[in-house]
Amino acid sequence: MSKKIKSLADLEKLQLLEVKKLGLRMDHSVPESNDNTPREILVCVGGGCLASGALKICEAFNLAIEENGLSQKVTVVETGCMGPCAAGPVAKIMPDNVFYQGITVEDAKTIVEQHIMQGLVVQHLLYKDAVSGQPVANIDDIEYFKRQNKVVLRNCGNIDPLKISEYIAVKGYQALAKAVSSMSSEAVIDSMLQSGLRGRGGGGFPTGLKWKFTYEAESDSKSVVCNADEGDPGAFMDRSVLEGDPHSVIEGMAIAGYAVGAARGYVYCRAEYPVAIERLQKAIDQAREVGLLGENILGSDFNFDLEIRMGSGAFVCGEETALMTSIEGNRGEPRPRPPFPAIKGLWGKPTVLNNVETFASVAVIISEGAEKYAELGTEKSKGTKVFALAGAVNNTGLVEVPIGISLGELLYDIGGGMIDGKPFKAAQLGGPSGGCIPKEHLNVALDYESLNELGAIMGSGGLIVMDEDSCMVDVARFFLEFVQEESCGKCTPCRVGTKRMLEILERICDGKGEEGDIEKLLTLGQQIKETALCGLGKTAANPVLSTIRHFREEYEEHIRDKKCRAGVCAGLVRAPCQSACPASVDIPGFVSLVGEKRYAEALMLHRERNPFAAACARICFHTCEDHCRRATLDSPISIRGIKRFMVEQEVVIQVPECKENKKNAAKKIAIVGAGPAGLSCAYFLARLGYKPTLYEAAPRPGGMMAQTIPSYRLPREILAREIRMIERLGVDIQCNKTLGKDFTLEELKEQGCEAVFMAIGAPDGLMLGLPGEEAEGVCEAISFLREYNIRGSVPVGKNVVIIGGGNAAIDAARTAARLDAESVIVVYRRTRDQMPAYEEEIEEAEAEGVELKLLTSPEEIIVENGNVTGIRCKSMELGTFDRSGRRRSVAGDQADFIIPCDQVIAAIGQRVDLPPLIGQVSLAVKRDGYLKTDSVTKQTSEEWIFAGGDVATGPSSVIDAVADGEKAAAGIDLMLTGKDNAFWRAEKKVDTFFDPDADPVMYEREKQPLIPVERRSCNFDEVEQPWDEATAIRQAKRCLRCDYREEATTW
Amino acid sequence: MTDMLAEKGCACGSEADEQELMVRLDEVLEEYKDNEGGLIPVLQIAQGLFGYLPENVLRKIAKGLDKPYSEVAGVVSFYSFFSTQPRGKNVVRVCLGTACYVRGGKQILDAFKKNLKIDVGETTEDKQFSLEVARCFGACGLAPAIMINDDVHQRVKPAQVKQILASYSETELEEA
Repeated sequence: MSKKIKSLADLEKLQLLEVKKLGLRMDHSVPESNDNTPREILVCVGGGCLASGALKICEAFNLAIEENGLSQKVTVVETGCMGPCAAGPVAKIMPDNVFYQGITVEDAKTIVEQHIMQGLVVQHLLYKDAVSGQPVANIDDIEYFKRQNKVVLRNCGNIDPLKISEYIAVKGYQALAKAVSSMSSEAVIDSMLQSGLRGRGGGGFPTGLKWKFTYEAESDSKSVVCNADEGDPGAFMDRSVLEGDPHSVIEGMAIAGYAVGAARGYVYCRAEYPVAIERLQKAIDQAREVGLLGENILGSDFNFDLEIRMGSGAFVCGEETALMTSIEGNRGEPRPRPPFPAIKGLWGKPTVLNNVETFASVAVIISEGAEKYAELGTEKSKGTKVFALAGAVNNTGLVEVPIGISLGELLYDIGGGMIDGKPFKAAQLGGPSGGCIPKEHLNVALDYESLNELGAIMGSGGLIVMDEDSCMVDVARFFLEFVQEESCGKCTPCRVGTKRMLEILERICDGKGEEGDIEKLLTLGQQIKETALCGLGKTAANPVLSTIRHFREEYEEHIRDKKCRAGVCAGLVRAPCQSACPASVDIPGFVSLVGEKRYAEALMLHRERNPFAAACARICFHTCEDHCRRATLDSPISIRGIKRFMVEQEVVIQVPECKENKKNAAKKIAIVGAGPAGLSCAYFLARLGYKPTLYEAAPRPGGMMAQTIPSYRLPREILAREIRMIERLGVDIQCNKTLGKDFTLEELKEQGCEAVFMAIGAPDGLMLGLPGEEAEGVCEAISFLREYNIRGSVPVGKNVVIIGGGNAAIDAARTAARLDAESVIVVYRRTRDQMPAYEEEIEEAEAEGVELKLLTSPEEIIVENGNVTGIRCKSMELGTFDRSGRRRSVAGDQADFIIPCDQVIAAIGQRVDLPPLIGQVSLAVKRDGYLKTDSVTKQTSEEWIFAGGDVATGPSSVIDAVADGEKAAAGIDLMLTGKDNAFWRAEKKVDTFFDPDADPVMYEREKQPLIPVERRSCNFDEVEQPWDEATAIRQAKRCLRCDYREEATTW
Repeated sequence: MTDMLAEKGCACGSEADEQELMVRLDEVLEEYKDNEGGLIPVLQIAQGLFGYLPENVLRKIAKGLDKPYSEVAGVVSFYSFFSTQPRGKNVVRVCLGTACYVRGGKQILDAFKKNLKIDVGETTEDKQFSLEVARCFGACGLAPAIMINDDVHQRVKPAQVKQILASYSETELEEA
């Protein structure tokens, strides 16, 4: 195409001609599945797919086409980014409008042979709907695409970016023609103002206003500059536009030139984008060839030409004044503003400087009109925004949505939710200048103002999704390190300020954080914000300020508890599993000892930090496994299984190392509550030589472990054995003693008690608060389970309904199923993946015949003659997000229905009623009603009273309670002696063998055997069984030994 | 580097001698002499020609563009892309942008350090590989990503590093 286009008429004629060549892509009415009809295969060769081997796929397609003699009928078109990078390589078959993903070289051949030649869609390459799991062939039916509005990305994935003829065919350059031939500069600027378009680079400044100022400035030589530096890590939309639709940027810049009176333009593109530069250059050359750039464009007296300037690896050159300074051939140091580029820009002359995305939006606004553009978006932020989804989300890639969509919608409905279903922790928006959004704010509208209120920014649109494997302190440190390196050095606040902030953060991540560090960071950050010269400095502190705002506890944990819960900070983490364990059990240690058959040593090591090895081997929810690094290779280590095998080898329980201490033994220490927290505290106190007394209200010790956890999960004798071991250390357990009734806290003090540890739990179950719940047959789960466990029997109906989705609900369900119930239904108002109960428990419940009725909410208990006969329920739907990061359930449209039943068990929560227990002693209480304690020592507001376990945290897990007990023991001893004597906390060297150069063994993770369902139905025998020795050793050997450290350096 | 530079005569892979390269540099200087802000494009092209920016080249550029040497040196030291040290035949760039970092980029970098036995910014003794940390190159959808020369490798696992490096050493041997 080398004939010059001299007028709008020329352009329109050419468009009609060219669009016919794209016929297959334009006309979706051509029937699908016709064998041997002409087809086009559009293959994405955007950056992501290129890296996934898209070019080899194109070769394979072309080869198959040739071999089958289809060269006349089928063409392969290489297009720009279609969006879903994680699913690449991807392709579209036109005119069928069928979308294929994850294509291999073999698949390309299959597509030609099956789909092209026989009209049979290749099922295994289709996108699978996230909700139904069904394959979807037509792009217009795919949720991921349906919910997007591609304006900036309108042509990406639809045309060949290297052919100007295709751009013209889709009406490209007609906006320029319209502007140049029938609109005045003012009219163009007016249109931009009406559209409400705001700068998409991050500043969000109204584009029309910027153009107006530049237009009004007087000068003989103005410029248009496109910021294609895109330095934000995590942003790749500008790259995709330049690679996939470069003409849209050229056209936008030309229109800008026309509007403000500029004759020359520059595209400043970073050097890290060689493909983008290449394609843009080709596009510029083609545009020049046909006269769309150069002199007398389209027969007018408007002259405009473009040049590319390459960046050289400086992030700060993305800042507009630094960018212009760089074009001028200098060190990329920013200049003070005002004066703004619109007045004094490139070479001191008025300059319009806009982002790639902004320019790519211009042509649409001019041709379709500002009003149409303004239909999308919110009142203050019109139009669409391209977001680059990356990180721990399933559908990573580019998406374009109307501004104002909520973060939750973007993440779950379009982004496909979190990888591996892990809980959402935070989303970082806007790169190193931005802030993070925690799960409490999943409902935030993604628009400029709403994000600013949360301390975040829209920025470039790079959205990094993080799960619990990211440490927010480390993330802040990472961004600050980046900014520090990229700081140009010109102004002191940025150059020195960021360095000081980084030093503090590095100290914190290294385990050397100090009290007052957080306050220092906040002050420094604020100062830098107010005094730095350019945007880089001004926003440098944002990630730190934002993470402190939303994740302050993590900072405090790093500083005070020397703990990194995500298992990331090298100075605090020996191994991520150990870091994740609330009790810091040396997991790599005991696992490697089991691998060498040294079971007694393994048990000793385990009991250094947690006495309940045998109990936890059955019931712990193993947060250690959720952080296991092996998961990135295949699947996590089966830590709980290895533990179970280890405890099975124990014949006689060994007592741990204890230090005799007459002074301590003489002191009176009382512990109220013999649950895991109380027993653990007693255990550790005894190891320090104390002889504490435990007061337990129930007839036997064990707390929830004995009272509510069913014996098919935790056999009675197993627990009793470990409790007896603790007694052997000199601990006196007195049962049937209730606080507030048989003794009071004041009495303990009068008797000479120097310290008390309150570990009374949250023993009361909550009732439903529904009409009819006073009827016979309605009870709550905690009492139901407790009665069975202590008495050995409990009334069970024939048709039992359990309300709730946590472990208590499942325990009650599986218990009822083993007793007289014929049907057991668990009613839960949200979805299965939102149920707090352990997944393994839910699976076994279903195997045992328990039915789950999800998205169902109980409304009323139907009562006849004082007995429950049914429960009226409402169907629910999922609505917006609540502060737990889960979707609320809201009433659906369907009619209510009744589930007939003769017993209703409520398992919706627990509480503790403090006043009758603590009497006149006043203890500070948190907003949720539980006791306030110091995070390190577990001291309450009364110096001599400590607290831990459920009474301080709310219903939590056994291991959390055990950890609290240990901290309290150390805290009590610290208070009494003034010294830190917790000798068990010292790191122990484990001398197991490990070869760091060997490849990991490729055994797969194995599940523990379960007794068959038929053998479980009428008894409470333990369901889970241990492995045999060979399996256990194999499983132990899978451990990657993240705790391994090189012994010596040779230089 | 890019085609644009290749047109001007990129030296990667070819054994053009210094004389020839200096002649080509002269041509470039002539072309950009009157171009405003032309210093940076000239430096980019020069680095493409010589593989790095030795002092004699910088002095020639300063003279050719009529700028003080200190200004040229100042610009070179500002931008991370310019190197005054010779680089290895294959430049390994490990991305530590946010998305890659969050998906394990640091472990990849450590694996490269271990395998090549060099630190960031260094070159192996046999001049085959240089190791750098890259700023994000926009393959975030497929993190963790690395670039070796112009090839982008995505979703890299530490276990794959040895293999990836081997494929570059092999191609060198084949050509020889």
